[in-house]
Amino acid sequence: MVSTMQLTQQDEAMKETAAQKTASARRTHSIDISAIGSGSKNLRIENEEIAMCVNDLQLHYGEKRALHGINMQIPKKRVTAFIGPSGCGKSTLLRCFNRMNDLVDGCRIDGEVLIDDQNIYQRAVDVADLRRRVGMVFQKPNPFPKSIYENVAYGLRIQGINKKRVLDETVEWSLRSAALWDEVKDRLDDSALGLSGGQQQRLVIARTVAVKPEVLLLDEPASALDPLSTLKVEELIHELKDDYTIVIVTHNMQQAARVSDYTAFMYMGDLVEFGSTDDLFTNPQKTQTEDYITGRYG
Amino acid sequence: MRMPMRNWASAGEPWVWLNAAAVTASLVMVFGLLGLIAVKGLAHFWPHDILEADYVAGSVQQVIMGEFVESEEVPAGQLTTAGVSVPDGVEFMQRDLLKIGNRDVGGFDFRWMLDADLKNKRYPKDAIAIERREWGNFYGYLVSVMEDGRVIAEGELAWNVLQERLQRALGLHDQIYKIEKNEIGSVNYTIERMRLKERGYELDGSYTAEKQAEIAAIRSEQETIYKSLQESLIDLYTQANRDSIKVRTAQGQEITLPLEKIVRVFRPNAMSLSAKLSFYGEKLWEFVADDPREANTEGGIFPAIYGTVLMVVIMSILVTPMGVVAAIYLREYAHQGAMTRIIRIAVNNLAGVPSIVYGVFGLGFFIYFVGSGIDQAMFPEALPSPTFGTPGLMWASITLALLTLPVVIVATEEGLSRIPRTMREGSLALGATKAETLWRVIIPMASPAIMTGVILAIARAAGEVAPLMLVGVVKLAPSLPLDGNYPFLHLDQKFMHLGFHIYDVGFQSPNVEAARPLVYATSLLLVLVIALLNMSAVSIRNRLREKYKALEM
Repeated sequence: MVSTMQLTQQDEAMKETAAQKTASARRTHSIDISAIGSGSKNLRIENEEIAMCVNDLQLHYGEKRALHGINMQIPKKRVTAFIGPSGCGKSTLLRCFNRMNDLVDGCRIDGEVLIDDQNIYQRAVDVADLRRRVGMVFQKPNPFPKSIYENVAYGLRIQGINKKRVLDETVEWSLRSAALWDEVKDRLDDSALGLSGGQQQRLVIARTVAVKPEVLLLDEPASALDPLSTLKVEELIHELKDDYTIVIVTHNMQQAARVSDYTAFMYMGDLVEFGSTDDLFTNPQKTQTEDYITGRYG
Repeated sequence: MRMPMRNWASAGEPWVWLNAAAVTASLVMVFGLLGLIAVKGLAHFWPHDILEADYVAGSVQQVIMGEFVESEEVPAGQLTTAGVSVPDGVEFMQRDLLKIGNRDVGGFDFRWMLDADLKNKRYPKDAIAIERREWGNFYGYLVSVMEDGRVIAEGELAWNVLQERLQRALGLHDQIYKIEKNEIGSVNYTIERMRLKERGYELDGSYTAEKQAEIAAIRSEQETIYKSLQESLIDLYTQANRDSIKVRTAQGQEITLPLEKIVRVFRPNAMSLSAKLSFYGEKLWEFVADDPREANTEGGIFPAIYGTVLMVVIMSILVTPMGVVAAIYLREYAHQGAMTRIIRIAVNNLAGVPSIVYGVFGLGFFIYFVGSGIDQAMFPEALPSPTFGTPGLMWASITLALLTLPVVIVATEEGLSRIPRTMREGSLALGATKAETLWRVIIPMASPAIMTGVILAIARAAGEVAPLMLVGVVKLAPSLPLDGNYPFLHLDQKFMHLGFHIYDVGFQSPNVEAARPLVYATSLLLVLVIALLNMSAVSIRNRLREKYKALEM
């Protein structure tokens, strides 16, 4: 009991310093974000281009409602983090952005998600094409049992690109973007399963980047990795945000504080608070948010 | 230190011992079974010594010669009731089984005799055993070698002359065989095809003069070939009939044997161990690589091995895609509900249907319905003799494919369900459609499981006999189902099968004693063939597993 108490205190101390650090580092964006709970239609992120717009998104697993009408806007070429306790719906929401929930039996979705003013839940939308535009990286590294090269080239081959030169270039470029090129350039034909967990996760990111998506969805990308690999993945996220809109789900609040520009706090299927990471961590508007980030529950 | 009994029990020791005992029992049974059939089967090919003895039973007195096969103890009472006089105070008497051969002389080639009646046992060095193409083995003595009825060698010299002349006779026999089987067979095949072609043209009314000339040309060409073959055959036969030998049985009767009818002559009593070993190897090779002779009781079983392997291979080629496609539909596409559950139960139950039922189904549906339909539609020229409307290799393979389908479906489904969801999601998230995901990721990863299904299917199909008797297996097939005649693979032909061969030799043979060792030897070979087929499938699976080992993550 005592030890956990101490730990929590330490955690808090760390969190504060981390939050302060990021706060000072991010002073450059002076964007006014009105942090508003879900259910309100007034959410707007000023001075940002919007990549995705979520309007009154409700999701049911059978009878159970998992998302209770989410309204939010994901800013373009920024990192948006979803935090919240387990089961709060943050992964579910993330998976709505590339319609991964379609694969789940008994899943029903109402509301809309707009990308370029087009609702991705319209009947006419080509889901494969959508997923090409909205890439996703999962919690556990899931390289295919193929060579490193073939893993990265997979998405291109699916698109019917088989020209050796194009593939070579893209593979190298993607692996470089994922900061993996130097480690694997001499063994591209080896099985991807021989890589370490951290390398595998970066390979999966490279594979996703290879199809040049607009949005990258990261579902707890570092939760199965050791601290060093986590650091590498976080650095990578930092690098990638110049080119991609990134949405990341994480359990780790420090990580959210470190890598994201905007943070959304979700609780029990509701978007409780959404704002710039600095504001949310230093000056939460809702008591629920405050309780969570100070470690009182979750 | 002594461990208290209770501790010993609670540490799980009895359980470990029980398990170990069960494993041991299984191993003993497997190796015992293999050992028994190996010993009984392989001993048959050894050149056993030839025993000569004076048989004295009451007033009967004669010289007996033959190979000792086995002996058994018989209760005296049983012998007394059979009318044999038994000395007082004897409870059991030993009885020997001798293979006396000379079926053409004595009528049967095996004989049980009381050991006590065999006096003066001896193993004469110059006793010969002759393997013949008909009438079984001959045991006796060589008297002379003759050419065109004229004696050219006698006594010890005759043995050497015989060896040379036998080589020549065997060479001639090979030539005759080749001409009769391959070349004349090919001519007959072509002529038959021409007949069918002609009939086909007549049936659809397109038999023009041009075509007539074409067919007539081919026919006359074939007939010329046939004539020249016929001439060389006649020539070869006269050459082959030139030599003969005179032999004497142990009882003193002399008979003349043409060399053409002899497969091999040997003097087991005079053979050294190395000579016996090389003889043994030769006999084993003959068993594996030659055609059967004398109602399958002599010679080899090559056509049966060939038929078994070919049938299993065709069956695998048929069952794998069918089973995999069905499993993919059931697991990946079908709505998982009551209907799929019922289908799954039905599939599992199919695996429990007795195989003979599949045979009946194959005969009734495939052969009589589908097969005769195919004949009506595609081979009207051959009617009324059926082409596919009769048991054959294709129907046997299809029937067995149906029989093993559940195994492949169940194994494939199992494999598909074991592939982590993250693999599918990973592929779909890259913009792959469901079908692309299936073909590029899921099926390669499930391939080891598919191979497991195929292995089980092979094991089951290769050992199946009952349905085959209805749908295509015969006792003796005149030609191999895969040969040099167009279209090379004759799916409509009947074929031989090791499993059926065992049944046939063991229970349908006119000469039970002669066939018994062959039953064991054939069983051993069947086990080996199945093991070989399985092992090749297992090695393919292991390679696939190595390649797609992500499942073990």
